Amino acid sequence: MTNSTLKAPAPAAVQPPARKPSNGSGKKLLTSTWLIVVVVAIWWFASANSTNFFIPSLQEILESLVRDLGNGVILGGALYSLTNLFVGLAIAAVLGIGGGLLFGELHWLRRIFDPIIHFFRSVPQAALVPMIIGVFGMGQGPKMGTIAFACMWPILLNTIDGVLGVEPTIRKFSKVYRIPRMLHFRRVVLPAALPQIMAGVRVALPIGITVMVVSEMFASIEGLGFFILNSSATFKVPETWAGALLVGVIGYLISILFVFVEKRVLRWYHASGAQ
Amino acid sequence: MTTQTPTTEATQTAPLLMKVRGMSMSYGEGAQENKIIENLDLDVEFGQFISIVGPSGVGKTTLLRCLSGLLRPKAGTIEVSGTQISGPHPDLAVVFQDYSRSLMPWMTTRENVAFPLQGKGMGKTERNNLADENLAAVGLAGQGDKFPWEMSGGMQQRVAIARALAYNAKVLLMDEPFASVDAQTRFDLEDLVLDLQHKLGVTILLVTHDIDEALYLADKVVVIAEKPATVVDEIITDFGDTRDQLATKADPRFAEARARILVRLRKD
Repeated sequence: MTNSTLKAPAPAAVQPPARKPSNGSGKKLLTSTWLIVVVVAIWWFASANSTNFFIPSLQEILESLVRDLGNGVILGGALYSLTNLFVGLAIAAVLGIGGGLLFGELHWLRRIFDPIIHFFRSVPQAALVPMIIGVFGMGQGPKMGTIAFACMWPILLNTIDGVLGVEPTIRKFSKVYRIPRMLHFRRVVLPAALPQIMAGVRVALPIGITVMVVSEMFASIEGLGFFILNSSATFKVPETWAGALLVGVIGYLISILFVFVEKRVLRWYHASGAQ
Repeated sequence: MTTQTPTTEATQTAPLLMKVRGMSMSYGEGAQENKIIENLDLDVEFGQFISIVGPSGVGKTTLLRCLSGLLRPKAGTIEVSGTQISGPHPDLAVVFQDYSRSLMPWMTTRENVAFPLQGKGMGKTERNNLADENLAAVGLAGQGDKFPWEMSGGMQQRVAIARALAYNAKVLLMDEPFASVDAQTRFDLEDLVLDLQHKLGVTILLVTHDIDEALYLADKVVVIAEKPATVVDEIITDFGDTRDQLATKADPRFAEARARILVRLRKD
Protein backbone atom coordinates (compact mmCIF):
# COMPACT_ATOMS: atom_id res chain seq x y z
CA MET A 1 0.00 0.00 0.00
CA THR A 2 1.36 3.40 -0.88
CA ASN A 3 0.18 6.77 0.12
CA SER A 4 0.91 8.35 -3.23
CA THR A 5 -2.78 8.30 -4.09
CA LEU A 6 -4.49 11.46 -3.04
CA LYS A 7 -7.75 9.80 -2.26
CA ALA A 8 -7.97 8.60 1.31
CA PRO A 9 -8.74 4.91 1.61
CA ALA A 10 -12.42 4.46 2.30
CA PRO A 11 -13.10 2.65 5.55
CA ALA A 12 -15.51 -0.24 5.67
CA ALA A 13 -19.06 0.86 6.28
CA VAL A 14 -20.83 -0.24 9.40
CA GLN A 15 -24.50 -1.00 9.26
CA PRO A 16 -26.57 1.05 11.68
CA PRO A 17 -28.46 -1.14 14.12
CA ALA A 18 -31.60 -2.48 12.49
CA ARG A 19 -34.91 -1.19 13.79
CA LYS A 20 -37.05 -3.64 15.62
CA PRO A 21 -40.04 -4.84 13.62
CA SER A 22 -43.21 -3.18 14.87
CA ASN A 23 -45.59 -6.12 14.39
CA GLY A 24 -44.93 -7.18 17.97
CA SER A 25 -46.39 -3.98 19.39
CA GLY A 26 -49.92 -5.40 19.78
CA LYS A 27 -48.54 -8.27 21.79
CA LYS A 28 -46.45 -5.84 23.84
CA LEU A 29 -49.53 -3.74 24.60
CA LEU A 30 -51.37 -6.85 25.75
CA THR A 31 -48.47 -7.91 27.98
CA SER A 32 -48.41 -4.56 29.71
CA THR A 33 -52.17 -4.10 30.15
CA TRP A 34 -53.73 -7.44 31.06
CA LEU A 35 -52.83 -7.17 34.75
CA ILE A 36 -54.49 -3.74 35.04
CA VAL A 37 -57.65 -5.17 33.52
CA VAL A 38 -57.61 -8.08 35.95
CA VAL A 39 -57.02 -5.82 38.97
CA VAL A 40 -59.85 -3.49 37.95
CA ALA A 41 -62.16 -6.48 37.43
CA ILE A 42 -61.31 -7.92 40.85
CA TRP A 43 -61.89 -4.49 42.42
CA TRP A 44 -65.18 -4.14 40.58
CA PHE A 45 -66.62 -7.50 41.67
CA ALA A 46 -65.13 -7.58 45.18
CA SER A 47 -66.54 -4.14 45.98
CA ALA A 48 -69.84 -4.62 44.14
CA ASN A 49 -71.92 -5.45 47.21
CA SER A 50 -69.90 -3.45 49.69
CA THR A 51 -71.86 -2.37 52.73
CA ASN A 52 -68.92 -0.62 54.35
CA PHE A 53 -69.64 3.10 54.22
CA PHE A 54 -65.95 3.94 53.78
CA ILE A 55 -65.40 1.43 50.98
CA PRO A 56 -67.85 2.29 48.21
CA SER A 57 -68.21 0.03 45.20
CA LEU A 58 -66.07 0.80 42.18
CA GLN A 59 -69.29 1.38 40.26
CA GLU A 60 -70.28 4.19 42.62
CA ILE A 61 -66.78 5.67 42.48
CA LEU A 62 -66.77 5.72 38.69
CA GLU A 63 -70.31 7.12 38.54
CA SER A 64 -69.38 10.05 40.76
CA LEU A 65 -66.16 10.54 38.81
CA VAL A 66 -68.04 10.71 35.49
CA ARG A 67 -70.71 12.96 37.00
CA ASP A 68 -68.24 15.39 38.55
CA LEU A 69 -66.10 15.43 35.44
CA GLY A 70 -69.26 16.18 33.44
CA ASN A 71 -70.51 19.01 35.62
CA GLY A 72 -67.05 20.52 35.83
CA VAL A 73 -66.62 20.30 39.60
CA ILE A 74 -63.67 17.96 39.48
CA LEU A 75 -62.42 19.13 36.08
CA GLY A 76 -61.97 22.68 37.31
CA GLY A 77 -60.14 21.35 40.32
CA ALA A 78 -57.90 19.20 38.15
CA LEU A 79 -57.04 22.12 35.89
CA TYR A 80 -56.18 24.27 38.88
CA SER A 81 -54.01 21.53 40.33
CA LEU A 82 -52.25 20.74 37.06
CA THR A 83 -51.49 24.41 36.46
CA ASN A 84 -49.82 24.57 39.86
CA LEU A 85 -47.96 21.33 39.17
CA PHE A 86 -46.59 22.34 35.79
CA VAL A 87 -45.63 25.86 36.77
CA GLY A 88 -44.01 24.47 39.92
CA LEU A 89 -42.13 21.82 37.95
CA ALA A 90 -40.98 24.33 35.36
CA ILE A 91 -39.57 26.60 38.09
CA ALA A 92 -37.95 23.57 39.75
CA ALA A 93 -36.38 22.49 36.45
CA VAL A 94 -34.97 25.95 35.70
CA LEU A 95 -33.56 26.40 39.21
CA GLY A 96 -32.44 22.78 39.61
CA ILE A 97 -30.72 22.49 36.25
CA GLY A 98 -29.25 26.00 36.34
CA GLY A 99 -28.04 25.62 39.91
CA GLY A 100 -26.82 22.10 39.26
CA LEU A 101 -24.72 23.22 36.28
CA LEU A 102 -23.17 25.98 38.37
CA PHE A 103 -22.53 23.84 41.45
CA GLY A 104 -21.22 21.00 39.31
CA GLU A 105 -18.79 23.16 37.37
CA LEU A 106 -17.64 25.47 40.18
CA HIS A 107 -16.06 23.37 42.91
CA TRP A 108 -15.61 26.24 45.35
CA LEU A 109 -19.29 27.18 45.05
CA ARG A 110 -20.35 23.59 45.64
CA ARG A 111 -18.18 23.34 48.76
CA ILE A 112 -19.90 26.41 50.22
CA PHE A 113 -23.44 25.27 49.46
CA ASP A 114 -23.08 21.53 50.02
CA PRO A 115 -24.25 21.45 53.68
CA ILE A 116 -27.24 23.68 52.93
CA ILE A 117 -28.27 21.57 49.94
CA HIS A 118 -28.10 18.39 51.98
CA PHE A 119 -30.04 19.93 54.85
CA PHE A 120 -32.90 21.15 52.71
CA ARG A 121 -33.21 18.04 50.65
CA SER A 122 -33.48 16.01 53.86
CA VAL A 123 -36.50 17.98 55.11
CA PRO A 124 -39.71 16.09 54.28
CA GLN A 125 -41.22 18.36 51.66
CA ALA A 126 -44.85 17.99 52.75
CA ALA A 127 -43.84 19.21 56.22
CA LEU A 128 -43.03 22.63 54.76
CA VAL A 129 -46.49 23.18 53.30
CA PRO A 130 -48.19 24.63 56.42
CA MET A 131 -45.26 27.00 57.06
CA ILE A 132 -45.01 28.26 53.51
CA ILE A 133 -48.74 28.79 53.24
CA GLY A 134 -48.78 30.40 56.66
CA VAL A 135 -46.12 32.86 55.59
CA PHE A 136 -47.10 33.48 51.98
CA GLY A 137 -50.85 33.07 52.15
CA MET A 138 -53.52 31.10 50.37
CA GLY A 139 -53.13 32.02 46.73
CA GLN A 140 -51.91 29.95 43.84
CA GLY A 141 -48.40 31.41 43.99
CA PRO A 142 -47.38 29.86 47.31
CA LYS A 143 -48.65 26.47 46.11
CA MET A 144 -46.57 26.66 42.95
CA GLY A 145 -43.63 27.78 45.05
CA THR A 146 -44.03 24.84 47.42
CA ILE A 147 -44.15 22.38 44.52
CA ALA A 148 -41.13 24.06 42.93
CA PHE A 149 -39.20 23.91 46.20
CA ALA A 150 -39.96 20.24 46.74
CA CYS A 151 -39.21 19.19 43.16
CA MET A 152 -36.02 21.20 42.86
CA TRP A 153 -33.84 18.98 45.07
CA PRO A 154 -33.79 15.74 43.09
CA ILE A 155 -33.26 17.73 39.89
CA LEU A 156 -30.49 19.82 41.46
CA LEU A 157 -28.67 16.85 42.97
CA ASN A 158 -28.93 14.77 39.82
CA THR A 159 -27.73 17.65 37.68
CA ILE A 160 -24.69 18.09 39.94
CA ASP A 161 -23.97 14.35 39.68
CA GLY A 162 -24.42 14.49 35.92
CA VAL A 163 -22.04 17.43 35.57
CA LEU A 164 -19.44 15.72 37.77
CA GLY A 165 -19.76 12.63 35.61
CA VAL A 166 -18.92 14.37 32.34
CA GLU A 167 -16.26 12.32 30.56
CA PRO A 168 -12.82 13.80 31.45
CA THR A 169 -11.61 13.38 27.85
CA ILE A 170 -14.48 15.56 26.65
CA ARG A 171 -13.51 18.22 29.18
CA LYS A 172 -9.93 18.06 27.91
CA PHE A 173 -11.21 18.36 24.36
CA SER A 174 -13.23 21.43 25.35
CA LYS A 175 -10.17 23.04 26.93
CA VAL A 176 -7.70 22.23 24.16
CA TYR A 177 -10.09 23.48 21.47
CA ARG A 178 -10.78 26.55 23.58
CA ILE A 179 -14.56 26.25 23.54
CA PRO A 180 -16.02 29.46 25.02
CA ARG A 181 -17.57 29.00 28.43
CA MET A 182 -21.26 29.48 27.55
CA LEU A 183 -20.98 27.25 24.49
CA HIS A 184 -19.23 24.65 26.64
CA PHE A 185 -22.13 24.77 29.13
CA ARG A 186 -24.83 24.61 26.49
CA ARG A 187 -23.43 22.07 24.04
CA VAL A 188 -21.04 19.97 26.14
CA VAL A 189 -21.93 19.92 29.83
CA LEU A 190 -25.72 20.13 29.50
CA PRO A 191 -26.14 17.32 26.95
CA ALA A 192 -23.59 15.14 28.77
CA ALA A 193 -25.51 15.58 32.03
CA LEU A 194 -28.95 15.28 30.41
CA PRO A 195 -29.49 11.55 31.10
CA GLN A 196 -28.95 12.22 34.82
CA ILE A 197 -31.05 15.38 34.69
CA MET A 198 -33.95 13.50 33.15
CA ALA A 199 -33.65 10.86 35.87
CA GLY A 200 -33.92 13.68 38.42
CA VAL A 201 -37.06 15.04 36.76
CA ARG A 202 -38.50 11.56 36.83
CA VAL A 203 -37.99 11.38 40.59
CA ALA A 204 -39.42 14.90 40.98
CA LEU A 205 -42.71 14.11 39.23
CA PRO A 206 -44.37 11.98 41.96
CA ILE A 207 -42.99 14.35 44.62
CA GLY A 208 -44.66 17.21 42.76
CA ILE A 209 -47.99 15.39 42.59
CA THR A 210 -47.86 14.60 46.31
CA VAL A 211 -47.06 18.17 47.29
CA MET A 212 -49.68 19.44 44.84
CA VAL A 213 -52.41 17.47 46.65
CA VAL A 214 -51.12 18.23 50.14
CA SER A 215 -50.81 21.95 49.39
CA GLU A 216 -54.50 22.06 48.45
CA MET A 217 -55.53 20.44 51.69
CA PHE A 218 -54.37 23.49 53.63
CA ALA A 219 -56.29 26.73 53.43
CA SER A 220 -57.56 26.10 49.95
CA ILE A 221 -60.92 26.16 48.23
CA GLU A 222 -59.77 24.77 44.91
CA GLY A 223 -57.92 21.86 43.36
CA LEU A 224 -57.96 18.08 43.61
CA GLY A 225 -56.56 18.09 47.13
CA PHE A 226 -59.41 20.35 48.25
CA PHE A 227 -61.91 18.15 46.39
CA ILE A 228 -60.64 15.03 48.18
CA LEU A 229 -60.54 16.66 51.62
CA ASN A 230 -63.88 18.47 51.22
CA SER A 231 -65.79 15.43 49.96
CA SER A 232 -64.34 13.39 52.81
CA ALA A 233 -65.33 16.04 55.36
CA THR A 234 -68.87 16.05 54.00
CA PHE A 235 -69.07 12.23 53.94
CA LYS A 236 -69.27 12.00 50.17
CA VAL A 237 -67.05 8.93 50.24
CA PRO A 238 -67.37 7.89 46.56
CA GLU A 239 -66.19 11.40 45.58
CA THR A 240 -63.21 11.08 47.88
CA TRP A 241 -62.24 7.83 46.19
CA ALA A 242 -62.93 9.31 42.77
CA GLY A 243 -60.60 12.22 43.52
CA ALA A 244 -57.81 9.92 44.70
CA LEU A 245 -58.31 7.70 41.67
CA LEU A 246 -58.11 10.68 39.36
CA VAL A 247 -54.85 11.83 40.97
CA GLY A 248 -53.47 8.35 40.36
CA VAL A 249 -54.57 8.34 36.73
CA ILE A 250 -53.10 11.81 36.18
CA GLY A 251 -49.82 10.72 37.73
CA TYR A 252 -49.74 7.68 35.48
CA LEU A 253 -50.49 9.70 32.34
CA ILE A 254 -47.80 12.24 33.24
CA SER A 255 -45.23 9.49 33.68
CA ILE A 256 -46.17 8.02 30.28
CA LEU A 257 -45.84 11.47 28.73
CA PHE A 258 -42.49 11.85 30.45
CA VAL A 259 -41.15 8.56 29.10
CA PHE A 260 -42.25 9.62 25.62
CA VAL A 261 -40.46 12.98 25.90
CA GLU A 262 -37.38 11.36 27.46
CA LYS A 263 -37.03 8.85 24.61
CA ARG A 264 -37.05 11.71 22.12
CA VAL A 265 -34.70 14.01 24.00
CA LEU A 266 -32.22 11.24 24.82
CA ARG A 267 -32.41 9.39 21.52
CA TRP A 268 -28.62 9.42 21.16
CA TYR A 269 -28.24 8.07 24.69
CA HIS A 270 -30.49 5.08 24.21
CA ALA A 271 -29.34 4.39 20.66
CA SER A 272 -25.63 4.57 21.49
CA GLY A 273 -26.01 2.03 24.26
CA ALA A 274 -24.20 4.36 26.62
CA GLN A 275 -26.50 3.67 29.55
CA MET B 1 20.07 7.68 7.45
CA THR B 2 21.73 10.39 9.40
CA THR B 3 21.84 10.33 13.13
CA GLN B 4 22.16 13.09 15.58
CA THR B 5 23.06 13.43 19.21
CA PRO B 6 20.41 14.96 21.46
CA THR B 7 20.11 18.59 20.47
CA THR B 8 20.80 21.27 22.97
CA GLU B 9 20.64 24.28 20.70
CA ALA B 10 18.89 24.58 17.38
CA THR B 11 21.22 24.88 14.42
CA GLN B 12 18.52 25.48 11.84
CA THR B 13 18.21 28.83 10.21
CA ALA B 14 14.45 28.51 9.70
CA PRO B 15 12.44 29.62 12.73
CA LEU B 16 11.12 26.72 14.79
CA LEU B 17 7.40 26.13 14.98
CA MET B 18 7.70 24.71 18.48
CA LYS B 19 10.58 25.04 20.86
CA VAL B 20 10.73 23.33 24.25
CA ARG B 21 13.58 24.14 26.58
CA GLY B 22 14.41 22.62 29.96
CA MET B 23 10.89 21.44 30.56
CA SER B 24 10.29 19.64 33.85
CA MET B 25 7.06 18.31 35.25
CA SER B 26 6.23 16.72 38.57
CA TYR B 27 3.21 15.93 40.68
CA GLY B 28 3.05 16.63 44.39
CA GLU B 29 5.21 18.88 46.53
CA GLY B 30 8.27 18.57 48.77
CA ALA B 31 9.05 15.05 49.94
CA GLN B 32 5.99 13.76 48.11
CA GLU B 33 7.19 15.20 44.82
CA ASN B 34 7.08 12.71 41.99
CA LYS B 35 9.21 13.86 39.09
CA ILE B 36 7.80 12.73 35.76
CA ILE B 37 9.80 14.72 33.24
CA GLU B 38 13.12 16.47 33.74
CA ASN B 39 14.94 18.96 31.61
CA LEU B 40 13.42 18.01 28.28
CA ASP B 41 14.31 19.84 25.06
CA LEU B 42 12.42 19.51 21.80
CA ASP B 43 12.58 21.26 18.43
CA VAL B 44 9.72 21.07 15.96
CA GLU B 45 10.21 22.44 12.45
CA PHE B 46 7.43 23.48 10.08
CA GLY B 47 5.96 20.52 8.23
CA GLN B 48 7.87 17.97 10.26
CA PHE B 49 6.43 14.68 11.44
CA ILE B 50 7.89 13.89 14.84
CA SER B 51 7.28 10.69 16.77
CA ILE B 52 7.95 10.64 20.46
CA VAL B 53 8.52 7.05 21.50
CA GLY B 54 9.00 5.66 24.96
CA PRO B 55 7.96 2.75 27.12
CA SER B 56 4.54 2.66 28.75
CA GLY B 57 4.39 4.70 31.92
CA VAL B 58 7.40 6.86 31.08
CA GLY B 59 5.30 10.02 31.07
CA LYS B 60 4.39 10.41 27.39
CA THR B 61 0.84 11.44 28.14
CA THR B 62 2.03 13.94 30.73
CA LEU B 63 4.43 15.36 28.16
CA LEU B 64 1.66 15.70 25.60
CA ARG B 65 -0.60 17.40 28.14
CA CYS B 66 2.13 19.90 28.86
CA LEU B 67 2.72 20.52 25.16
CA SER B 68 -1.01 21.01 24.54
CA GLY B 69 -1.30 23.53 27.35
CA LEU B 70 -3.53 21.34 29.51
CA LEU B 71 -0.83 21.10 32.18
CA ARG B 72 1.57 23.82 33.19
CA PRO B 73 5.15 22.52 33.46
CA LYS B 74 6.98 23.11 36.75
CA ALA B 75 9.98 24.51 34.91
CA GLY B 76 11.16 25.38 31.43
CA THR B 77 9.51 27.00 28.46
CA ILE B 78 7.27 25.92 25.58
CA GLU B 79 7.19 28.29 22.62
CA VAL B 80 4.81 28.07 19.69
CA SER B 81 5.51 30.32 16.70
CA GLY B 82 7.94 32.28 18.86
CA THR B 83 5.62 33.03 21.77
CA GLN B 84 5.55 31.19 25.04
CA ILE B 85 2.28 29.38 25.74
CA SER B 86 0.56 29.44 29.10
CA GLY B 87 -2.45 27.29 28.20
CA PRO B 88 -4.31 25.84 25.21
CA HIS B 89 -3.26 27.66 22.05
CA PRO B 90 -5.10 28.13 18.74
CA ASP B 91 -2.06 26.77 16.87
CA LEU B 92 -2.33 23.44 18.69
CA ALA B 93 -4.92 20.73 18.15
CA VAL B 94 -5.03 17.36 19.86
CA VAL B 95 -6.22 13.97 18.64
CA PHE B 96 -6.94 11.95 21.75
CA GLN B 97 -6.24 8.26 22.12
CA ASP B 98 -9.74 7.25 22.99
CA TYR B 99 -11.98 8.35 20.13
CA SER B 100 -15.07 6.88 21.80
CA ARG B 101 -14.61 9.31 24.68
CA SER B 102 -13.40 12.37 22.81
CA LEU B 103 -16.26 12.54 20.31
CA MET B 104 -19.61 13.72 21.58
CA PRO B 105 -22.34 11.10 21.10
CA TRP B 106 -25.11 13.73 21.06
CA MET B 107 -23.66 15.39 17.97
CA THR B 108 -23.51 14.07 14.42
CA THR B 109 -20.04 13.68 12.95
CA ARG B 110 -20.50 16.96 11.07
CA GLU B 111 -21.47 18.75 14.28
CA ASN B 112 -18.53 17.17 16.10
CA VAL B 113 -16.10 18.49 13.49
CA ALA B 114 -17.80 21.89 13.19
CA PHE B 115 -18.19 22.50 16.93
CA PRO B 116 -14.70 23.92 17.65
CA LEU B 117 -15.23 26.25 14.66
CA GLN B 118 -18.43 27.50 16.29
CA GLY B 119 -16.25 28.23 19.30
CA LYS B 120 -14.08 30.35 17.03
CA GLY B 121 -17.17 32.33 16.06
CA MET B 122 -17.50 30.96 12.53
CA GLY B 123 -20.95 31.08 10.87
CA LYS B 124 -23.03 27.96 10.48
CA THR B 125 -22.82 27.51 6.70
CA GLU B 126 -19.10 28.11 6.63
CA ARG B 127 -18.30 25.76 9.46
CA ASN B 128 -20.53 23.00 8.11
CA ASN B 129 -18.87 23.29 4.71
CA LEU B 130 -15.46 23.10 6.32
CA ALA B 131 -16.58 20.09 8.34
CA ASP B 132 -17.78 18.30 5.21
CA GLU B 133 -14.52 19.11 3.40
CA ASN B 134 -12.43 17.72 6.21
CA LEU B 135 -14.61 14.64 6.59
CA ALA B 136 -14.05 14.02 2.88
CA ALA B 137 -10.30 14.48 3.36
CA VAL B 138 -10.24 11.62 5.87
CA GLY B 139 -12.33 9.39 3.60
CA LEU B 140 -15.71 10.04 5.20
CA ALA B 141 -17.40 11.99 2.42
CA GLY B 142 -21.17 12.06 2.82
CA GLN B 143 -21.08 10.62 6.34
CA GLY B 144 -21.71 13.91 8.15
CA ASP B 145 -25.23 13.04 9.27
CA LYS B 146 -24.18 9.86 11.01
CA PHE B 147 -23.58 9.74 14.73
CA PRO B 148 -20.18 8.56 15.99
CA TRP B 149 -21.73 5.50 17.63
CA GLU B 150 -23.04 4.37 14.26
CA MET B 151 -19.43 4.02 13.09
CA SER B 152 -16.54 1.63 13.61
CA GLY B 153 -13.60 2.60 15.80
CA GLY B 154 -11.40 3.41 12.83
CA MET B 155 -14.04 5.68 11.34
CA GLN B 156 -14.53 7.45 14.66
CA GLN B 157 -10.82 8.15 14.88
CA ARG B 158 -11.00 9.56 11.34
CA VAL B 159 -13.71 11.93 12.58
CA ALA B 160 -11.44 13.00 15.43
CA ILE B 161 -8.64 13.63 12.91
CA ALA B 162 -11.01 15.63 10.70
CA ARG B 163 -11.97 17.71 13.72
CA ALA B 164 -8.32 18.48 14.45
CA LEU B 165 -7.68 19.36 10.78
CA ALA B 166 -10.72 21.60 10.54
CA TYR B 167 -9.53 23.54 13.57
CA ASN B 168 -6.71 24.65 11.30
CA ALA B 169 -3.98 24.43 13.91
CA LYS B 170 -0.34 24.53 12.89
CA VAL B 171 0.58 21.50 14.98
CA LEU B 172 -1.42 18.32 15.47
CA LEU B 173 -0.59 16.60 18.73
CA MET B 174 -1.57 12.95 18.62
CA ASP B 175 -1.67 10.90 21.80
CA GLU B 176 -1.33 7.22 20.86
CA PRO B 177 -4.10 7.82 18.33
CA PHE B 178 -4.10 4.31 16.90
CA ALA B 179 -3.71 2.32 20.11
CA SER B 180 -7.39 1.38 20.35
CA VAL B 181 -7.99 -0.02 16.85
CA ASP B 182 -7.15 -3.35 15.24
CA ALA B 183 -3.92 -3.87 13.30
CA GLN B 184 -5.29 -3.47 9.78
CA THR B 185 -7.23 -0.31 10.70
CA ARG B 186 -4.11 0.95 12.38
CA PHE B 187 -2.09 0.61 9.14
CA ASP B 188 -4.87 2.33 7.18
CA LEU B 189 -4.94 5.21 9.64
CA GLU B 190 -1.15 5.52 9.65
CA ASP B 191 -1.15 5.82 5.86
CA LEU B 192 -4.05 8.25 6.00
CA VAL B 193 -2.16 10.50 8.41
CA LEU B 194 1.00 10.38 6.27
CA ASP B 195 -1.05 11.19 3.22
CA LEU B 196 -2.78 14.13 4.92
CA GLN B 197 0.52 15.45 6.17
CA HIS B 198 2.00 15.49 2.67
CA LYS B 199 -1.10 17.01 1.12
CA LEU B 200 -1.77 19.66 3.73
CA GLY B 201 1.75 20.27 5.00
CA VAL B 202 0.56 20.11 8.58
CA THR B 203 3.10 19.55 11.34
CA ILE B 204 2.46 16.47 13.44
CA LEU B 205 3.77 15.44 16.83
CA LEU B 206 2.77 11.88 17.63
CA VAL B 207 3.30 10.07 20.88
CA THR B 208 3.45 6.28 20.81
CA HIS B 209 4.95 3.28 22.57
CA ASP B 210 5.16 1.42 19.25
CA ILE B 211 8.68 1.70 17.80
CA ASP B 212 7.64 0.50 14.33
CA GLU B 213 4.86 3.05 14.16
CA ALA B 214 7.17 5.81 15.36
CA LEU B 215 9.78 5.00 12.70
CA TYR B 216 7.33 4.37 9.89
CA LEU B 217 5.63 7.74 10.26
CA ALA B 218 8.27 10.15 11.40
CA ASP B 219 10.88 12.43 9.93
CA LYS B 220 12.40 12.53 13.38
CA VAL B 221 11.99 10.04 16.21
CA VAL B 222 12.54 11.36 19.71
CA VAL B 223 13.23 8.62 22.23
CA ILE B 224 12.32 9.38 25.80
CA ALA B 225 13.19 7.12 28.71
CA GLU B 226 14.49 7.01 32.28
CA LYS B 227 12.78 8.22 35.40
CA PRO B 228 12.18 11.13 35.39
CA ALA B 229 11.80 11.05 31.63
CA THR B 230 14.11 12.92 29.34
CA VAL B 231 15.24 12.73 25.73
CA VAL B 232 17.79 9.92 25.39
CA ASP B 233 18.11 9.83 21.60
CA GLU B 234 16.96 11.52 18.42
CA ILE B 235 16.94 9.77 15.07
CA ILE B 236 16.37 11.55 11.77
CA THR B 237 14.86 9.10 9.31
CA ASP B 238 14.91 9.54 5.55
CA PHE B 239 12.55 6.96 4.16
CA GLY B 240 11.24 9.62 1.82
CA ASP B 241 7.75 10.87 1.12
CA THR B 242 6.44 7.59 -0.23
CA ARG B 243 6.35 4.95 2.42
CA ASP B 244 4.95 1.48 2.31
CA GLN B 245 3.88 -0.69 5.22
CA LEU B 246 5.85 -3.65 3.81
CA ALA B 247 8.73 -2.13 1.86
CA THR B 248 9.63 0.60 4.32
CA LYS B 249 9.57 -1.74 7.26
CA ALA B 250 11.77 -4.20 5.34
CA ASP B 251 14.37 -1.49 4.67
CA PRO B 252 17.68 -2.40 6.39
CA ARG B 253 17.91 1.17 7.72
CA PHE B 254 14.52 0.61 9.38
CA ALA B 255 15.84 -2.47 11.17
CA GLU B 256 18.99 -0.64 12.15
CA ALA B 257 17.08 2.29 13.65
CA ARG B 258 14.70 -0.09 15.34
CA ALA B 259 17.58 -1.94 16.99
CA ARG B 260 19.14 1.32 18.10
CA ILE B 261 15.91 2.46 19.79
CA LEU B 262 15.43 -0.95 21.43
CA VAL B 263 18.92 -0.82 22.87
CA ARG B 264 18.27 2.68 24.15
CA LEU B 265 15.07 1.61 25.85
CA ARG B 266 16.49 -1.63 27.23
CA LYS B 267 19.40 0.09 28.94
CA ASP B 268 17.15 1.28 31.72
